Amino acid sequence: MPHLIRDFWPVFRRGAMTRIILSQIVVISVVAAILILTNTLPVSSMVLWGIVVALFILGILRGLLISHFSARPARDLLTAIIHVAGEPTDKTFPNPNDKRYEKNGFKIALQTIYELSGKAEEGVIPAPDTTQPSTAMATITAPAPHVNSDSLSSALDATTCGFVVLNHDRTVSYANKAAPIHIDAENVTTLSLVFNGQDTLESWLNDCDEHAVHAEHIWTRISDRLPEEEGRRFFDIIASYDKGSSHETVLTLVDRTSTYDISEQDLDFIAFAAHELRGPITVIRGYLDVLEEELGAVLQPDQHELFRRLTVSANRLSGYINNILNTSRYDRRHLKVHLAEDTLAGIYDTIKDDMELRAHAQNRLLSVAFPADLPTIAADRASISEVLGNLIDNAIKYSNEGGAINVTAEVKGDFVEVSVQDHGIGMPGNVVSNLFQKFYRSHRSRETVAGTGIGLYISKGIIESHGGNIAVRSEEGRGSTFIASLPIYSTVAAKLASGDNSNEGLIEHGNGWIKNHSMYRG
Amino acid sequence: MSVSKTVLCIEDDRFIGEMYVRSLKKAGYDVDWVVDGNDGLITARNKSYDVILLDVMLPERRGTEILDALRGGAEDLIPNSKVIVLTNFEQDDASRTQMQKHADAYLIKAEITPKKLIEIIRQLDALPPPA
Repeated sequence: MPHLIRDFWPVFRRGAMTRIILSQIVVISVVAAILILTNTLPVSSMVLWGIVVALFILGILRGLLISHFSARPARDLLTAIIHVAGEPTDKTFPNPNDKRYEKNGFKIALQTIYELSGKAEEGVIPAPDTTQPSTAMATITAPAPHVNSDSLSSALDATTCGFVVLNHDRTVSYANKAAPIHIDAENVTTLSLVFNGQDTLESWLNDCDEHAVHAEHIWTRISDRLPEEEGRRFFDIIASYDKGSSHETVLTLVDRTSTYDISEQDLDFIAFAAHELRGPITVIRGYLDVLEEELGAVLQPDQHELFRRLTVSANRLSGYINNILNTSRYDRRHLKVHLAEDTLAGIYDTIKDDMELRAHAQNRLLSVAFPADLPTIAADRASISEVLGNLIDNAIKYSNEGGAINVTAEVKGDFVEVSVQDHGIGMPGNVVSNLFQKFYRSHRSRETVAGTGIGLYISKGIIESHGGNIAVRSEEGRGSTFIASLPIYSTVAAKLASGDNSNEGLIEHGNGWIKNHSMYRG
Repeated sequence: MSVSKTVLCIEDDRFIGEMYVRSLKKAGYDVDWVVDGNDGLITARNKSYDVILLDVMLPERRGTEILDALRGGAEDLIPNSKVIVLTNFEQDDASRTQMQKHADAYLIKAEITPKKLIEIIRQLDALPPPA
């Protein structure tokens, strides 16, 4: 079974040839038979055979000429369709401006095909010189056609919108002036875009290559440079993919710098707001600690419990402020993790008291058990304690009074996997898939449980900044298990030592440096 | 007879300053408290403190400038003091790293309580003096 349009023509031509030859044999046989049977010429006559051969050749020629002429429009239409479909071919595409087509009126049919496919300009504009086949357009691998019109190209260059065309090899075959591209010394054009996390152009194209014929995708707030660099721009990007086309991927980049730049300032505002919020929290947490100790002897047991609730609430507030701050840093790509050799148990110890207090105050049974022989991990202590705090906090939020929360860890390949399991309300599948988005909160939880919806978003950001992964298994009514993986230190030690990662934390380690500013949490 | 350790608290927030001073005094430290950056720098240079608690967002002179003036030059002007930076402000990475380089500890105020602070001071005290 032929799969390409161009495969049709050879089959069709073979069929036509066979019919011409067969019909010619029949005609010749009939003529010869009449001549012999009417005794016009004897079988042995050279004249008879001469006539037979001459008629045969003439008939074949006539058949070929007629079929060539009558099938020509069909062939041209087919060639045009092949080009429109973007199949590789060495045939020149029929030029509607050809005199022949103008004369016999076929021009309109060709134009209609090109117009229908949105290729009107390519079909109409080429120079009248049809001896130069536009193989550039036809062959996928060759550097493809630029927009053939000067006026169109200057119009595209005048817009603030970026347009980029990628061919099948993902090389840039066209980019207008506004497009964020980089041309290196060897004149190779590359796109410079910094995508967020794993949702990159490349991963989307990989996906398209495998699963899609036509596809569209939109990215928002994509920058062309890192935060420190000058002249940074922000884009919303619309990509369309069209398998097999010579311009397989077309990117439209809408410059949104002015909008997003303002939100950069908003994020600075967040840093100042956090500073203001932290002041009162410092005093509340500090005096709660002081007062509970100083009033220890006179407080009634239920008053002690009230104190614990105050402490838990103040601690959580402080944790949420850190979440908000880190989210704003993460969104600006300012979140840097300083990876150092550490143990999971050591990290948990920094938040242990706080977590136990929270679990106790809300009547949950928190059990944390890490195997003693767990290898050391490469981690940013403050950030990972924040993630553990978020996961345990969620487990408390979304489980019931008296429910058990189990925190465990095990080695999986090059990673240590930490699991936080609750037996609470769980989630249906459609909720799970949105879970790590910013501000996402499941429908039901919105009514029953308070929260900002950024805890999991920033946790995912932090874990991925470590090179790990965060996942969830959940069953509605049965509870959820969150699993975060972190690299085993020995697997990344060499890389860290060579300074590939921002790992200033590794330095000052031996001499009592107290560096991580969230280390003394709670 | 052991002389009590001296602490200089440079902190402009009255509530926070009072809280640290009160707790440190109860724990037996001899505490001086100044509320602006200029006084902070002068006081730190005039008397050798065992511990200096340094805020970042200060009137007159920022904590960053104070630390830079004391330890940023060729000579450490306060070789016998431990400096603990205490801030609630999220500094950018560069200036935080710069402060961490010259400080003995860098802490977020909202993350610690006076009790924890005293623990850390004791911990720093137990460290051998710089070579």
